Amino acid sequence: MSASAIPTVPTPLTSEQAEAMAQRQIKKHHVAIVLLHWFNAISWLLELATGAGLIVSPYYRFAPLWYLQMMEGIFGSRANMLRFHIAVGLTWTAVFLVYAIFGFRNYLRIEVLQHEIGLDRDDMQWLKVRTLLLLSRTKDPLPPQGVYNAGQKLFALLVYTMVPLIMLTGLTMTFHWFGTTFVAWAMVLHFFAVGMVVSGLMIHVYMGAVFPEEKPAFYSMITGVVDELYAYRHHFKWWRAVKIEEQTWRDELRSKEEGGARSTDEKPDDNSGSDNAPLISRPQSGDRR
Amino acid sequence: MSKITRRGFLQTSSALAGLVGTGVASAESRPPSWRGETRVEQIATNCEMCFWRCGVMAEVADGKVLKLAGNPQHPLTGGQLCARGNAGTQLLYDPDRLKYPLIRIGNRGEGKFRRASWDEALDFFATHLKDLKQKYGAESVGFFPHGVAAGFFGTLMKAYGTPNAAEPAFAQCRGPRDIGYQLTFGRAVNSPEPVDLEESKCIVLIGSHIGENVFTSQVTNFITGLQRGAKLIVVDPRFSTAASKADHWLPIKPGTDIALLMAWANILIVETLYDKQYIEQYATGMKELEAHVKDFTPEWAESMTEIPAAQIRDTAHMMAEAKPAVAIHPGRHVTWYGDDTQRARAMAILTALLGAYGRKGGMFLPTKVKQGRIPLPPMPESERGRADGAGTKYPLATEESQGLTQGLVQATMNASPYPIKGWVVYGQNILESIPQRQNTLKAIEQLEFMAVVDVLPVEQTNYADLVLPEATYLERYDPPAVVTTSKRPFVAIRQPAIDPLYESKPGWWIAKELANRMGLADYFPWKDPEDHLSRLVQPLGINLAELKSLGAVSFDGHPYIDDRKEEDGPIFPTQSGKIELVSSVLKDLNFDSLPKFTAVEQPPPGYMRLIYGRAPMHSFSRSENNSWLDDLMPDNQVWINAEFAAKAGIKNGQVVILENQDGAKSLPIAVRATVGIRNDCAYMVHGFGTRAKGLTKAYKRGASDTDLITRVSIDPIMGATGMRVNFVRVLPTTGERS
Amino acid sequence: MPRYAMVIDQERCVGCQSCTVACKSEWDVPNGFARTKVRQTGTIGTFPKLSTSFYVSQCNHCDRPTCVPACPTGATYQDQSGVVRVNRDLCIGCGSCVAACPYGARYINAEIGKVDKCDFCVSRLGKGLQPACVGTCPAHAKIFGDLEDSSSDVFRFVYRGAAKRMETANIAIGPNVYYAGKPEHTALALASFAPVPPRTIAPGKVWSSLLNKVVYLAVGVTFLGQAVAFFRQLSTGEKQFEE
Repeated sequence: MSASAIPTVPTPLTSEQAEAMAQRQIKKHHVAIVLLHWFNAISWLLELATGAGLIVSPYYRFAPLWYLQMMEGIFGSRANMLRFHIAVGLTWTAVFLVYAIFGFRNYLRIEVLQHEIGLDRDDMQWLKVRTLLLLSRTKDPLPPQGVYNAGQKLFALLVYTMVPLIMLTGLTMTFHWFGTTFVAWAMVLHFFAVGMVVSGLMIHVYMGAVFPEEKPAFYSMITGVVDELYAYRHHFKWWRAVKIEEQTWRDELRSKEEGGARSTDEKPDDNSGSDNAPLISRPQSGDRR
Repeated sequence: MSKITRRGFLQTSSALAGLVGTGVASAESRPPSWRGETRVEQIATNCEMCFWRCGVMAEVADGKVLKLAGNPQHPLTGGQLCARGNAGTQLLYDPDRLKYPLIRIGNRGEGKFRRASWDEALDFFATHLKDLKQKYGAESVGFFPHGVAAGFFGTLMKAYGTPNAAEPAFAQCRGPRDIGYQLTFGRAVNSPEPVDLEESKCIVLIGSHIGENVFTSQVTNFITGLQRGAKLIVVDPRFSTAASKADHWLPIKPGTDIALLMAWANILIVETLYDKQYIEQYATGMKELEAHVKDFTPEWAESMTEIPAAQIRDTAHMMAEAKPAVAIHPGRHVTWYGDDTQRARAMAILTALLGAYGRKGGMFLPTKVKQGRIPLPPMPESERGRADGAGTKYPLATEESQGLTQGLVQATMNASPYPIKGWVVYGQNILESIPQRQNTLKAIEQLEFMAVVDVLPVEQTNYADLVLPEATYLERYDPPAVVTTSKRPFVAIRQPAIDPLYESKPGWWIAKELANRMGLADYFPWKDPEDHLSRLVQPLGINLAELKSLGAVSFDGHPYIDDRKEEDGPIFPTQSGKIELVSSVLKDLNFDSLPKFTAVEQPPPGYMRLIYGRAPMHSFSRSENNSWLDDLMPDNQVWINAEFAAKAGIKNGQVVILENQDGAKSLPIAVRATVGIRNDCAYMVHGFGTRAKGLTKAYKRGASDTDLITRVSIDPIMGATGMRVNFVRVLPTTGERS
Repeated sequence: MPRYAMVIDQERCVGCQSCTVACKSEWDVPNGFARTKVRQTGTIGTFPKLSTSFYVSQCNHCDRPTCVPACPTGATYQDQSGVVRVNRDLCIGCGSCVAACPYGARYINAEIGKVDKCDFCVSRLGKGLQPACVGTCPAHAKIFGDLEDSSSDVFRFVYRGAAKRMETANIAIGPNVYYAGKPEHTALALASFAPVPPRTIAPGKVWSSLLNKVVYLAVGVTFLGQAVAFFRQLSTGEKQFEE
């Protein structure tokens, strides 16, 4: 496909086009990200399970008594459960610290974050339409989305704010930093932050594991890739960027082969009219989480 | 404050290491001594946080004393131990302790020292004492000891040849009552006081504040007596803890106690309520006494004491009803107004009238304990005799007494009757125990040599030429406690729980080493303290190993007249062999042979009489620097009557300065405005406000009453310094106590 | 099972603080804090008819302790003999229990970052010893024992004597440290040192009034949203989503 033929907005596909697209793969997640994701998932599972089992005061408790008893039985004592919770929590924190330090340039720079999880007009529209769709109150199409859709972006924002809070408050409680008042506030904020993430987590898990439309997304967290059709349908702006990059690469290659005699006559159209999300200069397509 | 502490790190790594189901027992708090696996030894010894010497078990592990507790086997105190006793570890591990021998550089009083080796320090001492002996004679050295531990030093100084030893215990504390009771019954009261509180039916406290004055077994017996139904009469210008438990609290006008005592005697005699049979059997002088008390009516006493006559009668009747089980406590610190021996005589007379001396519930008799004697070469005689007036100016301050500290101070100050050029101070806080410290400071200026042996850098160490660090009671052997004034007499050991810290040494070692260097080794003919100890206790049939493990060994006592045996000696070892209601000795010396009442000087308008006492969590300045005890009571307050305070515009908690009649000022002190004290008195706990910079926790905390005791009233009979003759007024300062 | 209790005989107590220091040395209580406290009540009356007493306080190991439910991790618990204890391995030092105690019996030990209080010397009891404060008291003013044992002194004081609980109309959680002695002295102690209503620490208040509600709302809404999506998914079948 020539650069000029890369659509700027998602257009209906012919069945052959769709067929072809469904066969092709685009890399979305780096293997490190995949591993990190599942490490995170397991840690969260363990921490939620033990965390819930540790809170026994009627002022804070939410797990039923049979659950508390069961967990105490599994660990032998709640003290052991707490030790386990701290051990996993510290490991989890340490791993993400490493990620934050070594992956800062690729994943946590402000430009990267703005591009991947910054909300634009399309995102706001998407949120409105998606909600109405859920309630069968509209038949409008969803606006095109970037590498992560608005819902995913919202979840990311939630996680990025809550997780550092969970880590800091967890550390405060473990090491009794800055005294009792701090520890007490840390405890409450810890519960709050976890609770908020859990609310987003439910959608995240549902969307990933249960909702059939997002099945490719789920598999991408194992294989690292999605099929092009899915990308086209659900993350059009990202698909487009990938395609443009491919095209650019091919063009560069061709001009090298042809000794630079022919110049590219058309510049790829960077901006579709419908959104104004800037393309970053040197992304690695897809592997950002 | 956040720190990634080593503990936190270990916690983390152990948390990481120990995951699921290791079955580790939850870490409940456990006593420090049980946390580790090291074996904990229990060492039986006795306490020196005050002078009662309660039995103590020291829990020791890895060369550290972890905790102190009472010794359940101790015949006097059982397993009880007071706040100070429990805090003994904080003396042991007080970083302010004297650690090394020190020799003065700079001027006396500057407190500048250089560290010296023990060899150099001991030689320094020996050389100086030799010099003084050559230049001025051995009597030119004054010795200021305190406590039983001074025994070794006492021997050394006697052997050296000076008779001038003086402890505050006599002229600043118990002297008048010991002499007063000795004149009446033939023996001094001694310590622990043989008052049968637990069996008593009526306890009478005159200026005694048991409960704030805590001697463990005395409190136990006091409370036991009360619980068994004993009535309690408390005579005190202040609403003390004891007063709060009293059936009658008599807020007596200070200085009028003799009037009250004589009025009580009057009632007992006039209404024939005294123990007639006992008096007839055991006492002389009744006729004279009867005539003497005729005019001391309750009405007359009311006008003197401000106690209603009816109450004086009621309390006399209360005592009479309970006789002979009436325990009139002789008191302990009784040097108040200069007529204190006479007051003690009055109390002794009253005790006799009630038939209580030698009877159950009254005062019991001591039982001799014939400990071994270590034969020593004869002590040198002094030609010039004592310089402090004991035995001469004050004939009843006999050789056996503990001397007159203020007499020694005067003698030094005035070089009279002969120059005193050296002082050796052992464990006595001379600048805070002896009143009129201005004199003590002047006296020090006359000295050519001053040596101080102590555990803590108390104030006088600043003035010393030589400071020798003694080990604390937990690190040393001392002479055994031989207690005869207990219903079961006993011998108790003091043995070290751990080796001395730093370069501190036990008193016995210092004395013996000095003796070696001074040519007096023959006066210390024992190898080591265990040898010394065993030679003392073996004649009693005590096995040393048994004594070391039990802490004390007791014997049968014969506390009451009915129990007495031949070997106990006469019941009343007076000249006449009977209770001398009229003192023949006093008569011979031209003193009043029966107590007379003399009015004391009253405070001028705006002033209050300064009175002082103890607090249960301190032993005066001995515990002033103790971290735990300071936590409970970091400083003292001055009790002032609430109405008086209000009228003077002084608020509760306000920080003030006290100024006495001579213009002497105290350090700032907070006011406790209370309804529980007469409006003509101001009360504070003694032992605060030290000027010893080396006592970092205690330095200038609270105020010192000694600063305000610039005037004393000397008891002509035995030379005691009556100290409750100073008057203070309040000078407000700005700001509240923080 | 024993039910441990203590009786403080105010007529015996002289306020000497021997118990405070014995306890402090037994349990490494830092300066500034105490597991057991001795305080003088006010002095009432008109001179010279005055009255005062001492109030010895510590954890009361109450029948219905307000501290136990306040502890988020359950570090604070009551064992079968009635002793309220703290499991240091579970305590995070948040201070909820300190605020929840009407008697001010607890404190945070800054050295270890955890709460501490009297535990009736349970480890000593296990070795057949008395609590440290009981053994050391010169006045024998602290009486300790088993309320289930009819021959014990505490039984006598509580069930046959007039030993009182430090309770008010508002705060009656069944403290098991009783006070014996003259009614005027017990009344003085209650007047000077009455128990105060249990408090919730500020973060706890913010939690229950606001944050808790926000979390439940968020979780509720998202759960509902999911439920709706799930049911729609079920009803419309999966065909729609497959290409």
